[in-house]
Amino acid sequence: MRMDKNDHAAIQAVLSGNKEAYGALVVRHSQSLFRVAFRITGNEADADDVVQEAFLRGYLKLESFESRANFGTWIYRIAVRCALDKIGSINRMNDRMRVGTETDPEQDEIQVADETAGPDRLLLSGEIAAMQRDAMFSLTVTEQSAFVLRHMEGRTTEEIGDALGIAPNAAKQAVFRAVQKLRRRLSSLRVRI
Amino acid sequence: MKHLTEEELIQYGYGEGDKTLIEEHFAVCMECERAYGAVQSDLAEMKFPNPPERPSGYGDTVWKVLQNQLPAYESRKRTWLGGGLFRGLGYATACALVLVCAFVGGRLWERRQAEIAATKHAVPAPPVIAHPPQRVVVVVLSDHLDRSERLLVELKHVDADSTEMVSPLRDEARSLLDANRICRQNAKHEDDPALTGALDHLDRLLAELANEPGGLNSATITRLQDEMNKNGLLFEVRVLRSRIPHSPGAGADNSKGGTI
Repeated sequence: MRMDKNDHAAIQAVLSGNKEAYGALVVRHSQSLFRVAFRITGNEADADDVVQEAFLRGYLKLESFESRANFGTWIYRIAVRCALDKIGSINRMNDRMRVGTETDPEQDEIQVADETAGPDRLLLSGEIAAMQRDAMFSLTVTEQSAFVLRHMEGRTTEEIGDALGIAPNAAKQAVFRAVQKLRRRLSSLRVRI
Repeated sequence: MKHLTEEELIQYGYGEGDKTLIEEHFAVCMECERAYGAVQSDLAEMKFPNPPERPSGYGDTVWKVLQNQLPAYESRKRTWLGGGLFRGLGYATACALVLVCAFVGGRLWERRQAEIAATKHAVPAPPVIAHPPQRVVVVVLSDHLDRSERLLVELKHVDADSTEMVSPLRDEARSLLDANRICRQNAKHEDDPALTGALDHLDRLLAELANEPGGLNSATITRLQDEMNKNGLLFEVRVLRSRIPHSPGAGADNSKGGTI
């Protein structure tokens, strides 16, 4: 991927002391960062925080940015890691707040929305989306992120590995485990229905 | 037949893996083909809501939030210029000075070593002798005065009527004449009036002895003997010879000697 000339010029301006030039980079890449941040965190407010945090980290690390690289890819990778940090901290907070219910064998059944609805209706309803989201949060942070980048963002295995800071083979395995878990989760749901 | 794994089916579902191999396997294995159909169906069902659209001015909003949080890169640039660049220049200057000092020091040390080596291996210089070039002159003058003294002594005691005795005197006078002129010129050049005057008298005497028209006769010999005694030329030559150091017959204490 070739480096955008406008991005390159803006980066040079920023490093030369023109702080305002960074505004152009923020405006140009905010939307894509918000999308990936929302897909990983699943929350608008958290996604907004991730976007701001990513641009802040990017600004502070701008001197280490290699001019041959693509700023869009570079800041995207930072955003993914910010999102991972975000959901990691959220998960830790949820773990502290969760009291005993995790061991309840009936917990999964509570999440079933409507047992009286037929399968076709269930697949089309918003309930299934909610269950998928719940299933997503049963994944590890790496699996979830790898799945988002593969399934929703359409990134290659190499790009996923690069964004998550893991080897391509590990990224492939993470995607596989995520899909496998989601399928089983959704499969058991259909069986009960 | 070995069936495809779930991982291979999922990879194939995302467009990865060895497509040709998998499709060939599907052609002969209905079970795997059905399994892939299930995978494909599940992946298709995994539809997550699209992220909510952000307003067109979302980037500006983010920038406004960030703008005041970002540290000024300009000041960091100045810091780099003020610290890094000038510090680097300082280091470069210091390195250059060290190199120059090392080079100059090396050259000086090398030269000093060469001088020391030259001093060690040099042949000791002969002791300086006052007026070394004059030593030859002194020897020549000494020899000349010695021969002149002998000539004068012979002339003083020669029998004026004996032709056999007079002829060697004339030959000796001729041989001394040239040397006397050289010594006289040198004495004049050295501004030695006593020596110059004595050599003048000697020159006249030698010239008459050597070049007397008609040859030396008893009257001429007698006349020259009288002149020599009158002028005290023999005494004068002896005095001069005694002034010259290392001259035969000179006194040991006549160290100053005489020069022409």
